[in-house]
Amino acid sequence: MTLQFKSLTAMLAATTMLAGPVLAAGTHPETGEALSDNQTFTYRLLDEHSSVDPGIAEDVSGAEVIRDLFEGLMNQDENGNLVPGVATGYTANEEKNVYTFTLRDNAKWSDGTPVTAGDFVYAWRRAASPELASPYAWYIELMSIENAAQIIAGEMTPDTLGVTAIDDHTLEVRLTASLPYFPLMTTHTTTFPVPAATIEAHGDQWTRPENIVSNGAYVLTEHVPQERSVRERNPMYWNNDATIIEKVVALVINDDDTALTRWKAGELDRTEIPTGQYPSLSQEYPGEALSFPRLCSYYYTFNLSEGGPEAFKDVRVRQALSYAIDRSVITDQVLQGGQIAAFTFTPGATANFTVPEVAFGKMTQDERNAAAVALLAEAGYGEGLEHGPLAFDMVFNTSEAHAQIATVMAQMWKQTLGLDVTQSNMEWQIFLEERGNQNFELARGAWCGDYNEASTFLDLVNSSSGYNDGKYNNAEVDALLAEAKTMEDPSANYTRIEEIMADEMPVIPIYHYAGNMMLNADIQNWPINNVEQNWYSRNLYRVDN
Amino acid sequence: MIMFIIRRLAVAIPTLLILCIVTFYLMHAAPGGPFNSERPLPASVMANINAKYGLDQPLHTQLYTYLVGVVTEFDFGPSYKFKDRTVNDIIAQGFPVTLTYGFWSFIVATVLGISLGVVAALKHNSIIDYFAVGISIGAQVLPNFVMAPLLVWLFTLTLGWLPGGGWNGGQFPYLVMPIIALSTSYMASISRLMRSSMLEVLNSNFIRTARAKGLPSRKIIFGHALKPALLPVVSYLGPAFVGMITGSVVIDTFFSTGGIGQAFVNSAFSRDYAVMMGITILVGTLTITFNMIVDILYAWIDPKVRL
Repeated sequence: MTLQFKSLTAMLAATTMLAGPVLAAGTHPETGEALSDNQTFTYRLLDEHSSVDPGIAEDVSGAEVIRDLFEGLMNQDENGNLVPGVATGYTANEEKNVYTFTLRDNAKWSDGTPVTAGDFVYAWRRAASPELASPYAWYIELMSIENAAQIIAGEMTPDTLGVTAIDDHTLEVRLTASLPYFPLMTTHTTTFPVPAATIEAHGDQWTRPENIVSNGAYVLTEHVPQERSVRERNPMYWNNDATIIEKVVALVINDDDTALTRWKAGELDRTEIPTGQYPSLSQEYPGEALSFPRLCSYYYTFNLSEGGPEAFKDVRVRQALSYAIDRSVITDQVLQGGQIAAFTFTPGATANFTVPEVAFGKMTQDERNAAAVALLAEAGYGEGLEHGPLAFDMVFNTSEAHAQIATVMAQMWKQTLGLDVTQSNMEWQIFLEERGNQNFELARGAWCGDYNEASTFLDLVNSSSGYNDGKYNNAEVDALLAEAKTMEDPSANYTRIEEIMADEMPVIPIYHYAGNMMLNADIQNWPINNVEQNWYSRNLYRVDN
Repeated sequence: MIMFIIRRLAVAIPTLLILCIVTFYLMHAAPGGPFNSERPLPASVMANINAKYGLDQPLHTQLYTYLVGVVTEFDFGPSYKFKDRTVNDIIAQGFPVTLTYGFWSFIVATVLGISLGVVAALKHNSIIDYFAVGISIGAQVLPNFVMAPLLVWLFTLTLGWLPGGGWNGGQFPYLVMPIIALSTSYMASISRLMRSSMLEVLNSNFIRTARAKGLPSRKIIFGHALKPALLPVVSYLGPAFVGMITGSVVIDTFFSTGGIGQAFVNSAFSRDYAVMMGITILVGTLTITFNMIVDILYAWIDPKVRL
């Protein structure tokens, strides 16, 4: 598209907006609230999304757009519970390794053609295929679909994937393992259907507004990369009558403070809150500054590999270092955004997971400090002791917030244990490489759950996990994780793993994330209790306050 | 003159080639890659991706394929980060944005800077001079990353006159703040250069002669003083123009304009090799071109150069 054409469409869009706001339904069908005449929702994107192709997208901001444009087998409601999407329901065999989904017969693509089981088969084969080379191909493998791993490795062809369209409205999925939570995994954007005919006609460019065909509540009508994307109501969507928001505008604004300013100026309905500003904003804008738990943990990992520091191989040293961190200072005085002090790796907000009462979590900070001093001395570290004073380097990726936390931690170690800890920061890519190659002593880490289940966190301490940068290795943990995979209720195993981790301390959990955002009070029904923050614009609506 | 241009071109092409080669190897020497992330990809997935983009080939093969693509098909390759876009798409989308606000900033900076400098020199040591010098020093010390949020505070939050950012096809209200923020420090430099060079010229013998002849002031200034006084300014304008039209990260970040400055820096962080190469070549070409134009202008203004 030429620039002139783009600015012309932008101008046209602007004039239509001025000429006459779209008429809304008047009142909300369920709550009876008076709806605003302006049913546009504008929000901020931190960064341009990498793609809106469900098979390829790998970032949160891309997934947000995709959940509006496309619809998978199942959706989540405002609490994260599973609700029907294109599928009206599913059945599973007793071993929970064959699932059969029934698809609704009124689901349509935006060009009016029906959405069929074949579209899902096509999409899943495509996502796994080496030809597409999607960075999220591993998700198909993670779902344990038959032959997925071999297809990705190029040993089998995509048409051998364990997914079959029995007929247009029946989809059968065969798994290599028993997965009780499989249907939950179909709310992930990688599993969404894609339009075969459009992709074959336009290749890589099928996701452009002029080409795209989608089956969700919205269609993509404008996309200026690095600046904005606009999606508008899809009249072909099977549940279009229930959609209230007419138009969703996503603006790319890289800087948190700039975005906040534009929110204050009324240009945005939703934006993130810059670090440390939640307390003042929640006073200034009560009810519009929101904080909610998220499925993410912030931690430091010890290098426990062969080449790692000798001191860290002593569990007492690891415990001492973890105990001496006063997490409440970090959450209440540095971050101040409703973050939760962490004594376990898995956040308490995770579904079916109860945070175990680990011993050091129950102590007061004074008790923890005293225990830390004793443990370090017992391990023989300190002036005049066997190993002499302990010194090490902590590394984090360059960022103001990480630097603040590292400084606070180093200061706590200095005060409580008299340690001299050096801090280094590295640019993100270099940091990943160094951490991945175990070229560190103590390194920052953060992990957000891929799905709402404790294994998405605990898999990180599996000795065979590619994400286990600290190279922690405990046979009991591995066995508990393997067993949990096929258990109907694995929560006891997860609790046990957390207890082991609290004893052995392979990582220092610091805090569990809180999501912070400014949300215009006119926007209603935001799924604040959905810990994965999987929101769908079609569930929102706008009133005039 | 034609020989002069041909000679410059003959140097320009190898310069660009060296630029490409050095950038390419430096870029690949930096740790990390476009597909590294917090969660390392499984080896089989990574292998598929590397095969798709040819990243499994030896570096010199990759460089050769890239250069052949650039020269024969004007194809600067795909973006590794934005999967449905090519480098050509990214430049075609971002460069016009940058060019628009850069060009207008250049005009504003040059016109205001030269006027301010001339006026200050003519009214040397008067209130007007102090005022002009005050403005330019103030503008110089106020960096654009301070200026940008101040402008937003004033025009968006306090007065409510202008949108706080965005581009919207480059409509006027969206252009104002980026132009002010980008042009100010350039304007300051130009006005100071202009003032000192004008003062020097005004004190020179030929101007004194002109005055003695009884020529009117207007004629002395525009007919005799301005042209030689512009010389140092012109040599500054070339690089300044390239600087402005090749993008400013600060402007793109604060005003969400979606220009090429942001794309350039982001490509470096995300190791989006082809985008980084493409923009480097673009900036390199522009720099070489405008330096050449400055040289030609120089020759036109200053006959000594032509000798």
